[in-house]
Amino acid sequence: MVITVEILEATLEHLFLAYTALLIGALVSIPLILLSLYNAKLASLIMRFSNLVQAVPSFAVVAVVVPLIGIGFTPAVIAIMLRVLLPLIKNTYIGLFNVDPSLIESAKGIGLTEFQVIRYVRLPNAYPAIFAGIKFAAILANSIAVLTALIGGGGLGSMIFEGLTNFNTTKILAGTLPVIAIALFLDFSFSKIEHWLTPVYLQK
Amino acid sequence: MTIKKLFDRVDSVRLENITKKYGEQFAIKNLNLEIQGGELLILIGRSGSGKTTALRTINRLIEPDSGTVSINGADVREFDSVRLRRNIGYVIQNIGLLPHLRISENVGLLLKLEGWNEEEIRKRVRDLLTLVSLPPERFMDRYPHELSGGQQQRVGLARAMAMDPPLFLMDEPFGALDPLLRTQLQDEFFKIKKELGRTIVFITHDINEAFRLGDRIAIMNNAELIQVGTPEELIFSPVSDLVSEIVDSKRKYRHIDTLKVGDMMQPLAREDTLDPGMSAESALDLMVRKGLEFAFVMGKSEVSGRVCLNDVLKARTRGIELKEVTRALPLFSSDTTLIEALAKLKSEGESMGLVLEDNEPAGVLFSDRVLQNLI
Ligand SMILES: Nc1ncnc2c1ncn2[C@@H]1O[C@H](COP(=O)(O)OP(=O)(O)O)[C@@H](O)[C@H]1O
Ligand SMILES: [Mg+2]
Repeated sequence: MVITVEILEATLEHLFLAYTALLIGALVSIPLILLSLYNAKLASLIMRFSNLVQAVPSFAVVAVVVPLIGIGFTPAVIAIMLRVLLPLIKNTYIGLFNVDPSLIESAKGIGLTEFQVIRYVRLPNAYPAIFAGIKFAAILANSIAVLTALIGGGGLGSMIFEGLTNFNTTKILAGTLPVIAIALFLDFSFSKIEHWLTPVYLQK
Repeated sequence: MTIKKLFDRVDSVRLENITKKYGEQFAIKNLNLEIQGGELLILIGRSGSGKTTALRTINRLIEPDSGTVSINGADVREFDSVRLRRNIGYVIQNIGLLPHLRISENVGLLLKLEGWNEEEIRKRVRDLLTLVSLPPERFMDRYPHELSGGQQQRVGLARAMAMDPPLFLMDEPFGALDPLLRTQLQDEFFKIKKELGRTIVFITHDINEAFRLGDRIAIMNNAELIQVGTPEELIFSPVSDLVSEIVDSKRKYRHIDTLKVGDMMQPLAREDTLDPGMSAESALDLMVRKGLEFAFVMGKSEVSGRVCLNDVLKARTRGIELKEVTRALPLFSSDTTLIEALAKLKSEGESMGLVLEDNEPAGVLFSDRVLQNLI
């Protein structure tokens, strides 16, 4: 009974941590993406930075936050956020820019404004990629939120590390099973939503 | 709902000294071209000759490095580019229908952006689809990928017409279609063109399409305009071998159905013709001096015709006027089609006909010379 409450609390903490970070990541990426739509130099800078961040192992990203902003919930959120920024930005960027150039040309040619080209051509083209980015980011946030227990993020990660240090199999399982369940649930539900959202013209 | 228009009609589109470079390469070089209101002007030339670049300077998709494009005398840079483009229909080979929108939404997109209400848009879209031979009830709710290439191109045409623009720019609109379908769309487009009477600039690489649709044809090569003229002018007075090659004038008989009597007539110099009021004596004098077996009598059309030396002699001995012995000739106006004229000559057993311009004799059409020129 005690352990059930503990698991429940840790799970909620874990979810709160992971998805606060994801939400902030999404909020941060929106202006960056919008800016990169209008500025090619900035776009390439952002892409290069995101690629760099991806090259760095998750564990290192989590660790490097400590000397910069210390430990606790906020540094954990920032570490996760940094890590999910990339799939969000990169996928959105690819979706927005990998548009058949003749589509853009004809849209401009018939008299759409820059904004309307984004609204009616680029964004609809990018939805599937953006969605794939969010799905990937959600799964990534789930796994990094385990690591951030090391820097005081709390949650399921804390249980797992505690179990590992004490060779407490029950604790380890109590921490890992919910993480796995969350991952499976995310994968399953996102695949379902993806199917609903896929525009008719992309379905076979 | 009305459409805010920059111009109700187009009297002229003028490209003056337009130059556009990409790096060191000229895409167009000092281009001067005037498109007249109501005409369909064809731009033709090899791939990379600068046709698309030239076309896009008109709706400001491309800003030239130097030179001016003006519509009805107003520099296009004076207009807001979005407004300008909404007043110019634009159709390209790749069509560019938005894949996530239904046909009705694609055609009606600009109307929606212009603030029309649903009801008005639906009605207009129905009319437009009908105009391009797509039954609205069958097509409105479908998506572009569910349509064949030809049907998509019709939708593209309907979309371009949504705002009822007085000017159309068309960049190889039928280029991707198979020949049979292309011919069919050309026919339909030609009908629409006649109905709407708009000014159209039309790029093609197909000379037969050019002859079928074009009022005038502009030939481009290596970023420069080589020649612009009616199909007949290009066939009969090409300025260079390149032009002959493009218009295929070695096989010009293929285009005989586009020719008019005026293109094949021999102009007549006044000093070589006889006046109906002339005395037989002086007519004979003139003909003998010039060594003519027969001569043309040129006066008002009803007294015009030809006389043989024999006739003139007869007139002199009988003391009658020249016009009494003048034999009438079949009369053609210079814009009669050649085919029609030749058929009439044949049926009347005549070898020549008189060509009138503004009711004045202007030249003679010799059936045998026509054939010589054509084969
Ligand atoms: N955006 C561009 N960048 C560089 N070169 C271009 C660009 N657009 C066109 N060109 C070049 O300009 C020339 C004319 O192109 P274009 O007007 O498209 O020719 P056409 O329509 O007659 O095939 C070509 O040599 C082409 O390669
Ligand atoms: Mg082209």
